[in-house]
Amino acid sequence: MSELQLLMYVAYVVFFIGTAYRARKMATMPVHLRWDLYPIPHEKNKHHYGGSYFEEIDWWTKPAEVSVTSELKEMSKEIIFIQSMYYNNRPLWIFSFPFHFGLYLSIVFVLMIFLSGFLGIFGFEVSGTTSNFIGRALHYLTMPFGIIGSVLGCFGAVGLLISRLTREELKRTSVRSDYFNLVLLIAVFASGLYVWATEDMTYTDLRAFFTNLVSFKGTEPVSTGFAIHMILAAAFLIYLPFTHMTHFVGKYFTYHKVRWEDEANVKGSKLEKRITEALGYRINWSAPHIKKGTWAEAATATEDGGQNE
Amino acid sequence: MSNNKKVTIKDFCHKTGQLVELDVPEFAPLPPPYDKLDLQPKFKALADETKEKYETDLDGITAVKFPRPETEEEKRELVGKFLSGLKKLFDRENNWGFLQPLFLTIEYCAKCQTCASACPIYNESGEQDIYRPTFRAELLRRLYKSYVKKGGRFLAKISGDDIDATWAMVARTMELAYRCSVCRRCAQTCPIGVDNGLVTRELRKIFSQEMGITVEPLHKKGSVQQLEKGSSTGMTPVAFLDNIEFLEEEMEERTGLNFKWPMDKAGAEILLIHNAGEYLAWPENPEAFAIILDAAGIDYTLSSDLMGYDSVNYGVWYDDVQFAKVALKHAQIAKELGVKKIVLGECGHAHKALTVIADRVFTGDFNIPRESSLTLLHEIVKQNALKLDPSRNDHIVTTLHDPCNVVRLMGIVEPQREVLKAVSNNFREMAPHGVHNYCCGGGSGFAITQDLNFPDWRNSVSCRAKLRQILDVFQDIIEPEHNKYVCAPCSNCKGAMRDMFTYYGLFERCNILYGGLVELIVNAMVDIREGFLEWEWH
Repeated sequence: MSELQLLMYVAYVVFFIGTAYRARKMATMPVHLRWDLYPIPHEKNKHHYGGSYFEEIDWWTKPAEVSVTSELKEMSKEIIFIQSMYYNNRPLWIFSFPFHFGLYLSIVFVLMIFLSGFLGIFGFEVSGTTSNFIGRALHYLTMPFGIIGSVLGCFGAVGLLISRLTREELKRTSVRSDYFNLVLLIAVFASGLYVWATEDMTYTDLRAFFTNLVSFKGTEPVSTGFAIHMILAAAFLIYLPFTHMTHFVGKYFTYHKVRWEDEANVKGSKLEKRITEALGYRINWSAPHIKKGTWAEAATATEDGGQNE
Repeated sequence: MSNNKKVTIKDFCHKTGQLVELDVPEFAPLPPPYDKLDLQPKFKALADETKEKYETDLDGITAVKFPRPETEEEKRELVGKFLSGLKKLFDRENNWGFLQPLFLTIEYCAKCQTCASACPIYNESGEQDIYRPTFRAELLRRLYKSYVKKGGRFLAKISGDDIDATWAMVARTMELAYRCSVCRRCAQTCPIGVDNGLVTRELRKIFSQEMGITVEPLHKKGSVQQLEKGSSTGMTPVAFLDNIEFLEEEMEERTGLNFKWPMDKAGAEILLIHNAGEYLAWPENPEAFAIILDAAGIDYTLSSDLMGYDSVNYGVWYDDVQFAKVALKHAQIAKELGVKKIVLGECGHAHKALTVIADRVFTGDFNIPRESSLTLLHEIVKQNALKLDPSRNDHIVTTLHDPCNVVRLMGIVEPQREVLKAVSNNFREMAPHGVHNYCCGGGSGFAITQDLNFPDWRNSVSCRAKLRQILDVFQDIIEPEHNKYVCAPCSNCKGAMRDMFTYYGLFERCNILYGGLVELIVNAMVDIREGFLEWEWH
């Protein structure tokens, strides 16, 4: 087994564990106070103007009118087209959108390459000449996804980097790591494109590499270009979980667990249980008006300590 | 002192003296007639001795009025306390109520600056960097990385986002936490769902909950006074009952109706709680409520119990503990009266406090349903329970201000519109409106912060977007011969407007008045003597 292969295993393991750790950390946080923000798309007949069930008289006696389709529609507009940026920050959207779209295509590309690798274990051939339709489809589909994905991703990332370097307001608020993230991504995309253009137009080498990778077999020696691209991709995967670029995880929580979370607290509910638990947490803020003890005690304290002078 | 709007975090921590100088001509221009600069009041600069006495090194304005520490020792101690509060902000038990949203905001901002386009204060100030929604968040993020996260300082140095906790930084942050009205328009535009408005409130909590540093009208004369005397206005239960008696007499004079407010009626369907400021500043509002609910045959009661007659909950703006204390008290009063639900009068922050945020404070019997009066009024109008003649309001052109707390943060958008359309034939919408509205400028406690030159800042910076919207919506009839009415169903928004209208002379110059929704309803009720809504400034 080559060092390169080993690095790839490490990269995938770090990526998945790191990302899962992040998601778990967010998911196991205590219940928070309601902090919803309208419009909320699952409000069935009210989403289009930002309305909520609070508009209904005695809302607690009526069933919640929830629309999953409306929520999914809103999510896809946001995930695929980044609509909030389209409407509120067009100059950056022209780079951010192709960048993210390029990433999505690249992810599908990598998944297809993985799939080809798995199929390869069972001797299933993925190529342009195989008689099997799926094998041919995988062979031909990887090309547009890989090429367009890398071109868009590269273009977008370069655009974002130039924006950060030249647009006054972005420049002033950017730090080293912001530039580094983009440079690393550009390097991944560009090196991929370079390998594709100079030696692997049909992604055959890449597929072979992944077939060996998923079957834990030693690999043929690869070209320097290929190795550099793989090292960069691995470095990115290892680095990613430690950065804000994991916002694909964060976004689930910011939207579904904060902004769109309008679950009412009902007597006897699971939510009520979580609240009761939180009210039992200890509080040790130091200001004189706060009684130490549990939150329940602090919130029902009648005497009001010293005041701010 | 510098006139440079471009400020970096490093400047913020290390530069000495006042960081930015605000000047009216730099603010975003206003529509006619206020396009002429001489119609815009001059910014009141603080006297040198005031500046020497209080920390004003952010922008020459002060909301907190914190006396400058004299010795380095004192400064060090204050910075230490600040950092200890900072740690508690990220502690599971000490900040359970906001830990998840805060953490998400700290972790995931991509610094795309999309939110800046949504922020009225940043844009109206002429794009002052310090007012940028990401500025506070970036401060807090760097503080978190450098002082809370394990091994963070080393990594932060490498990534370039470390920060030095200096007293200059703490003193400026203290004020900067009071330059955002937490309208949360920024959060609405964030592609990632980060909430920079929340950061403002979290920063205020460090100062209030850890250091005991607050804005006097919010804390000492606000929530503390409310808990002790029953109302942030200082009105005790006895004074409240006196007031009610007086208002009953006044109402009889005004309307010819012999009227008694239902008081402390156990088992009533509804406990109605107004912002107590209404009884003092805009008594026609609770009076109009009384007329409407009576005519519609609604079974309700007011409460004269300590705090039962004041719906405000200033904790929503700066302190979780004060917030919970007040909310629980409100629920307890409703519980003791045995009402089926609490209805909140025209007060935005009280809406959000009691119906939304406190929903996760109330357990068991304390969880009594809470409802907006706007929803109830809509139901009353829908059921044709009132005889209305909208032509009685034909001499007025109306527009509607959307209080952030009720609309963007609660999703109550249509009821007030439906009601307003039922009582006004000349209604027009501001742009933008509904959940994309602009804050009145008085949000998060600004409306009641009256000390020194803070009102100048509020009137010329934070209220500016609303002023522009009002002028724009009435631009074709801006001459004083047309009566124009800004319907603002929120005490706090009305407070901000009262000040802003006075500051710019909007009534005298343009004949624009502001007021609530119920006043317009009663003015259109055919069974009520005409002229309930008096067209005069008071």
